Amino acid sequence: MRIDAHGHVFAKVSAEFPRQVNEVMPAEHEAPVSELLGHMEKNGIDRAVLVQAGGSAFEHHAYLRHALRAYPDRFRGIALIPPEVWASPEDYMDSMCDDTGIVGFRINTIGGPLDPFAPVDVRMFDAYPIWRHAAERDYVIWLYVGARDAHLIAYLTDVFPQVRVVLNHLGVCPGEGKFRWDEKGRPRIDTPSYNPAFHTTYRLCKYENLTVHLSGQYAFSREEYPYRDLAGWHKSLLNHFGASRLMWATDFPWIYEAPGYGALCNIIREMLPDLKDHEFDEIMGGTARRFLRFPG
Amino acid sequence: MSKPTDAEWKQWNEQGYLVFEEALSGDFLKRLQAAFDRCAEAGKEDFLQGIVRGETTATFYDIPGALEKDDVFIDLVDHPAYYGHLQAFTDGKVILLGPQVRMVPPWVLSYVGWHPDVGPTNPLHIKVQIYVNDVAPGAGEFAYVPGSHRPGAGPYPRVKNLEAMPGYKRFPGKAGTVILFNSYGWHAAMENHTGVPRKSIILIYEKYTEGRIKPETYVGIAGRLHTQERRRLFSLEAS
Repeated sequence: MRIDAHGHVFAKVSAEFPRQVNEVMPAEHEAPVSELLGHMEKNGIDRAVLVQAGGSAFEHHAYLRHALRAYPDRFRGIALIPPEVWASPEDYMDSMCDDTGIVGFRINTIGGPLDPFAPVDVRMFDAYPIWRHAAERDYVIWLYVGARDAHLIAYLTDVFPQVRVVLNHLGVCPGEGKFRWDEKGRPRIDTPSYNPAFHTTYRLCKYENLTVHLSGQYAFSREEYPYRDLAGWHKSLLNHFGASRLMWATDFPWIYEAPGYGALCNIIREMLPDLKDHEFDEIMGGTARRFLRFPG
Repeated sequence: MSKPTDAEWKQWNEQGYLVFEEALSGDFLKRLQAAFDRCAEAGKEDFLQGIVRGETTATFYDIPGALEKDDVFIDLVDHPAYYGHLQAFTDGKVILLGPQVRMVPPWVLSYVGWHPDVGPTNPLHIKVQIYVNDVAPGAGEFAYVPGSHRPGAGPYPRVKNLEAMPGYKRFPGKAGTVILFNSYGWHAAMENHTGVPRKSIILIYEKYTEGRIKPETYVGIAGRLHTQERRRLFSLEAS
């Protein structure tokens, strides 16, 4: 089974499907689930994870929930949590996961001390209530946090080892001021060639309930596809985590134009040409199927 | 000037490391500790901003430009407690690659797992780990796999739990303890659960090869390197 473990669908803004708008997601723009399914069919991809884009309010999730209801065996969903409910997120999280196919929540901050020499009380972290409830209800935590929070992930993972955690986009934690949209409407993240994540998120390999996406290459690479300058990062992640804790993803729809969905279906062979077949199968779907409990 | 004994030669060749307890002491150690803390404080805000910008990691703090800031760090590079050993092991041709004046905060993990720094085709590569404060067991102490530097040693497993590495040895120590090790060998920093940061200085040396260090690397401190031997050590003159 092949599973694309991260991407986004959204509709034009309407009364049925309200969402936030921004420069790359204007009101008239859409990335419908039908378009995704077309790419998946063409490239032999069986399942995918749909991650909310377009706002964190409950109503902003209307199109995501619609897609999950329409194709319950094809997709799993990841929702967002509005900032105003982070302190007491339990009801919101439960209502979002109420038999909809949503299995977890994406968060972009941990909210603890920046200074690594400062005393740490993990219960004071902004994300602590979310993590605690995820532990109680077996929800997945989908992580794409900023660089200032990279070292804080370990504290929560250590306290809640039962929570399934997925580090997005090669485990990179973008620095402030390093994000922009490129000329193709894709996220662009400037990262140092010596990746600080080697000493933060890569160290999380000790926690068995934590996996990492092999995705987002286009946003970090200084080269065109197949982004060979990132081969070392992929090899290092493989050495640290092993294939059974890595998940391939395309980050659709940002990549439809360049390098193209089909090209990204080959990225793992390009980055890790020495993979054994069973390792390739794990990265291309086995890990996601097991970890996110996709139906067989 | 130090000189390896027969027993030290044997241990160096077979185990790949030597420990010098109380190598630094008294006024010199106090001078080093004061300079370390002063430089750490001076660079702290830049370090934090580097974390925010994603340009540095929060899991260790390398204090920048220490050699330029205080002569005690230069004096450390050829300190008589171990410099003779470095000369002996490199046939009198040791050069400094660089210092890491490093503060490691407590964390639930180690900032670095088991690894060798270079392969055996690299010229002999030696590190000197100097504890600036007391490093208790479980306080991020240096650890090494004795004998892992030797040709044909291993293979060594890629363990996720540091303590699962077969045959490894931990090196807690008092402030002033120095551990000299062959960095072909597998080493790591253990986890620090004590609440006390590990303060240490890692000096990186190599057996001289032409062009390894550009002369301009240490030109900023050239005026403070008064002997030919020091100028060679800092690659301002050929060995």
